[in-house]
Amino acid sequence: MSTPARRRLMRDFKRLQEDPPTGVSGAPTDNNIMIWNAVIFGPHDTPFEDGTFKLTIEFTEEYPNKPPTVRFVSHMFHPNVYADGGICLDILQNRWSPTYDVSAILTSIQSLLSDPNPNSPANSMAAQLYKENRREYEKRVKACVEQSFID
Amino acid sequence: MKVTIKNWVGVATWRWVANDDNCGICRMPFDGCCPDCKLPGDDCPLVWGQCSHCFHMHCIVKWLQSQQVNQQCPMCRQEWKFNNK
Repeated sequence: MSTPARRRLMRDFKRLQEDPPTGVSGAPTDNNIMIWNAVIFGPHDTPFEDGTFKLTIEFTEEYPNKPPTVRFVSHMFHPNVYADGGICLDILQNRWSPTYDVSAILTSIQSLLSDPNPNSPANSMAAQLYKENRREYEKRVKACVEQSFID
Repeated sequence: MKVTIKNWVGVATWRWVANDDNCGICRMPFDGCCPDCKLPGDDCPLVWGQCSHCFHMHCIVKWLQSQQVNQQCPMCRQEWKFNNK
């Protein structure tokens, strides 16, 4: 069954393959183009470096007029990631635009890893350590980088 | 010498004159149609905003209808106003 959302997702996938952004990858699951698996590699020169963080992206038939639900499957320690893996990022909520595609979503989340926003915390411990005890913050992040190799 | 034309076949091509190749919302070519339509042309026209950004009419109308509060251009976030000129 082809719907506008599904056709758009086919184009997103094509673009992701033809013009892959550095450090992210993603693909639809085998039997459902509305659910994708993705991986974001921790950006260089950040405590997330070398991590391989897995995510799921769930689209509705309203895509691209409504954003997908994006969630980390890998355990994350980040000021803007909730305990359940949900992500607090404006462009996935009230600043969504239908001109975004999977490529743009994944690169935005990748840059959120480099530049957390501790003033809008989803994990208050991570936000507090990020602001007040960077050494401890980096230690906790490194632990989840290690964890990301296993899960 | 006198030439008599017995018959002729006229062929014309057309294309939209837009500042981009693809619609930023559905990502389909402007010379094609939006994903809800079957044939390009007058039934699936392009529209411009006053901000100069251009989309398939069906795509931008669907987006604006899905927005309760601010009706913004998906490209530049300026308030969307149709350019009627």
